Amino acid sequence: MRWYSRLLRLYPRPYRERFGESMEQTFRDLRRERPGPGFTLWIFLETFAGIVRERATDVGRSAMARNVFKTVKYVALAVGALMVAGIVTVMLLARGTGEDITGVVAPALLLTILSVVAAVVATVMQGRQNRRKTRDDLAG
Amino acid sequence: MASGGPLTPAVLHILLALSAQDRHGYGIMKQVEADSRGKVTMGPGTLYGSIRRMTDAGLISESDKKVDPSLDDERRVYYRITALGQQTLAAELQRYREVVAVARSLSPKTAGA
Repeated sequence: MRWYSRLLRLYPRPYRERFGESMEQTFRDLRRERPGPGFTLWIFLETFAGIVRERATDVGRSAMARNVFKTVKYVALAVGALMVAGIVTVMLLARGTGEDITGVVAPALLLTILSVVAAVVATVMQGRQNRRKTRDDLAG
Repeated sequence: MASGGPLTPAVLHILLALSAQDRHGYGIMKQVEADSRGKVTMGPGTLYGSIRRMTDAGLISESDKKVDPSLDDERRVYYRITALGQQTLAAELQRYREVVAVARSLSPKTAGA
């Protein structure tokens, strides 16, 4: 029984916290019904395959989420940089002409601010995700 | 999973096992074995992996109801089929019926008619 509990520790932590106890209970039920080395080998292989599957899913999910935050961050920064460049260009072109550029600059400035906020939020989320992953890795 | 594509055998059998009543993990295993006449045997790894995917997809959910609390450990988690799970099961069974109908029309002998 102890070996099965140890084997379950190889599952990703959220999965283990959610199903670990139930899996041990089910294992006890099954062992009562089917004692023998054949059962032990089957359970070991079957559970190990499950661990590989869940680990792969876990890695896939976190990689996808990390990529989403990274993409949002870079897109937001690119949009912000383009807006700043646009504002500067418009200001330079309008210099000395006396033309009112508020109608162009104000929305561009708002978009720049929103882009910076989006980039900061994405960076914070990406950092949190990385810290959580490091913590999970350390917890095994 | 609930996108309308064919279900895996494990998911189909779990939905079938839960269509009659709420069950805990071991109860699902026993029912699947009985329904398949011993042809489908799943261990805890397959069972709980499928349960995770099915709860995430909204096909099943944890149930508060204990079928017979006097016979069971209070800590056992029971699962129940959701409305989406019932719809998905019905759609899958309909798909099977259509496949059998096509097979029968092509070759009555191989379809076991």
